Amino acid sequence: MPFNSYPYIVFILAVVLAFLLLERRFPWAKRAFLLLISYAFYAWWRADFVLLLVGSTIVNYAIGGEITRRHSLLKSVRELLLAGLIFNLGLIGLFKYAGLFVASADGLLGLSYPIPHLFLPLAISFFTFEQISYLVDAAEGKAQRYSFLDYALFVSYFPHLIAGPIVRYNDLIPQFSQSRTPVERDNDLSLGVTLFTIGLAKKTLIADNLAPFADVVFTAAHQGMALSTTDAWLGTLFFAFQIYFDFSAYTDMALGSSCMLGIRLPFNFNSPYKSESIIEFWRRWHISLSTFLRDYLYFKLGGNRKGAPRRYANLMITMLLGGLWHGANWTFMIWGGLHGFYLIVNHIWRNLWANADLKLPPILKSLAHPASVFLTFAATTVAWVVFRSEDFPSAMLMLRGLCGEGGRSSLITFSPLAAVALIALFAIVWFAPNSMEMTWSYRPALDPPIGTSNVRQIRRLRWQPSRGTAVAFGLVCIAAVLALSNLSPFIYFQF
Amino acid sequence: MMSPKRYLVWFLSVVTLAIAALVAFNAFADYYILHDRNGPSIQTVSGFERVLKPAWIDSIEPSLVFVGSSRMREGFDPVLIDPTFHVNSFDYGVSSITAYEARRFTQDALGHPSVKTIVMALDAFTGNGEAQKIGPGFDELRLTVTADGKPTPRRPLWIFTTRYLSGGAAGMHALGLYMLLQLGPGQTASDRPDLFNAYSHMTTNIFRRDLTNRDERVLRMGPWQHQQFEATLGALCHRGDVRTILFFPPDNYAMIDRYLHNDRKDFIAFKETVLADVERHNATCEGKVALFDFLNHNAITDDVLKNGRSADYIDLIHFRPPVGMRLLRRMLGNGGKDSHLGVELTGPSTTLLSGQKPD
Repeated sequence: MPFNSYPYIVFILAVVLAFLLLERRFPWAKRAFLLLISYAFYAWWRADFVLLLVGSTIVNYAIGGEITRRHSLLKSVRELLLAGLIFNLGLIGLFKYAGLFVASADGLLGLSYPIPHLFLPLAISFFTFEQISYLVDAAEGKAQRYSFLDYALFVSYFPHLIAGPIVRYNDLIPQFSQSRTPVERDNDLSLGVTLFTIGLAKKTLIADNLAPFADVVFTAAHQGMALSTTDAWLGTLFFAFQIYFDFSAYTDMALGSSCMLGIRLPFNFNSPYKSESIIEFWRRWHISLSTFLRDYLYFKLGGNRKGAPRRYANLMITMLLGGLWHGANWTFMIWGGLHGFYLIVNHIWRNLWANADLKLPPILKSLAHPASVFLTFAATTVAWVVFRSEDFPSAMLMLRGLCGEGGRSSLITFSPLAAVALIALFAIVWFAPNSMEMTWSYRPALDPPIGTSNVRQIRRLRWQPSRGTAVAFGLVCIAAVLALSNLSPFIYFQF
Repeated sequence: MMSPKRYLVWFLSVVTLAIAALVAFNAFADYYILHDRNGPSIQTVSGFERVLKPAWIDSIEPSLVFVGSSRMREGFDPVLIDPTFHVNSFDYGVSSITAYEARRFTQDALGHPSVKTIVMALDAFTGNGEAQKIGPGFDELRLTVTADGKPTPRRPLWIFTTRYLSGGAAGMHALGLYMLLQLGPGQTASDRPDLFNAYSHMTTNIFRRDLTNRDERVLRMGPWQHQQFEATLGALCHRGDVRTILFFPPDNYAMIDRYLHNDRKDFIAFKETVLADVERHNATCEGKVALFDFLNHNAITDDVLKNGRSADYIDLIHFRPPVGMRLLRRMLGNGGKDSHLGVELTGPSTTLLSGQKPD
């Protein structure tokens, strides 16, 4: 059930009302209720795949439990961890990547194995990664033993189930049993509806209106059309903004939904286009994924502990696999590889700069920040081209168009309205406070993980409950609901 | 600053009141448009037609449906058609329809048991590539069937939300209601060409401007459009209970001349491809298809402006509803003085695919 749909709005209203009742009268039933409702939420998409979700939960809980038991007896847990990883990666490999790997092998080696066309279970990338983190932590003795109800709810909790944020069991499970005072409850509800409204508005009023322009250009490239410079740039920029607002909208709606139930999800999105380096970009974009990759892949590979060359190799491996996690298409891996390359260049540059000990004249110093932000935006935008393209040839057509070596297509007119829209979009992503900054005094999310960017303290546009903000957000909510009739799924739902 | 509880009450009150007002307005306007004598003329109006027409076809339960681009939307007014032909018709024409949408709207029409005849203009299947697969506002969840012909899950819910809760519906309802309320007693849409564009007349200025704007236009069926056309015929194949009429719409000859000048080869190939597909379809399928060509020299396309205005056209490609009546008479077989208008390609007539004047 997509967040940006009428059924979800009815669903969340009903769930919150029922939850409030349970909270007051039968607090012991809260978790069971949330678990059942989460399975119902998943079943709205495909009821039969709930079995897969439940099956995966049972197997991981059993393995995790055995690992914890053995660990406490100081016995080896390596084989069990390996079995757990094979199970999880096998599941995701089978459903998500089997087709890609077989097709690629067929193409490269001239084989003719039938390509499996398995139905991709929704959210498999997310619930698999979350359970891997539990198994790895259990093997390291960091995981506490929780009840099956808590564990199953951690995996399936509906606000994060479909497209994240990727949650850690120890962040979420302790919150399930917490009770809240009436004042906290009212705070949670007012904050939750506000965040949800901001997210819905970003999705239906901004992201969905940019999508057709980006789609028309990328589809044309997929058909082999040589694109004009105007089309290529407008299509690319519109997609860069579309994915920004789409993902931040999803995150706000997930956090807002969860807030209403008194549970805080991880901080996940912090104005990534304000970054002045690619390193910073990854501390602001999909923070829960980048910290997962850092903690469970990059650090496990050795991180930066084994010298510069190994560090760069680890970075590249992490980003390549992080790219491939997004989907069964080599373009995602190339996108990850591009970011890996950017990160390596960024680290080398930092080291050189630190060693050179140069002092910039004040005029250059004042220009350094905007120039860095612009350069980072340009680099990530070029990488989005590969991310959005259906295949490598169409990405090349787009890139050729961006370089002015394309054709004479005229798919989008660079009208005054388009120019105004672009200026407004740049102004929002570069200068406006984000939803976390606006509401941070009410703690809408868990604290940012160590090593990521902090939330900027703002004075203006800070959200506070007042009659004016209630009416303003109420009207924004209505405008967003009016635009709901074209159901358009979140980009990250496919991952 | 107020307490969070009061904030919540204010927020929810604003949202609830606004939604209640919206639903009430949409329900009233929808009822008014569907029950007013001139209401069907709103189907010729440009706006948010992709949003509301899939809901309207449900309520109207038509026996005759017109599918196609704005040529169809402007050219066929049920207010004129229904009493003359004793049918209950529905104009499913939408602006800049894509081949995919034409196929899907046909599938949707076939999903309504009341539909006995489908008339479709073939310009919907022109273009090159699938870049613009769907137009803004098109949402397949509103249609009776999915692209592979299965019933759309939870469709009543989508129709309800579209009709009563969407901004598109509110916009179209407001526009429709405004236009109907502007009609004086006894007036019909044809009396108010200032409001109903379908009844306006092409002037010399429009003719010149249109000729300049559409100077480079071609009429070509790309591979993807062809694929969609074949899929449309496929959907009609086992429907012997539905009569289907396809036609090449009568663009003004000044425009046909541009098509021939700009890309004669593909213009002829478009017609030949359609004809071949239809012949193949008729040879194997239960549901037969009639094919007419009005995209040639004929009494409509040879229209000349008298006293600076056209009797038949709004602009170079959009014909007026009275022309739609003539086309329909011809296609349904009671053409009278228009019995020889255009060419029935699936009939015994000589085919004049090039659209040029016979020597």
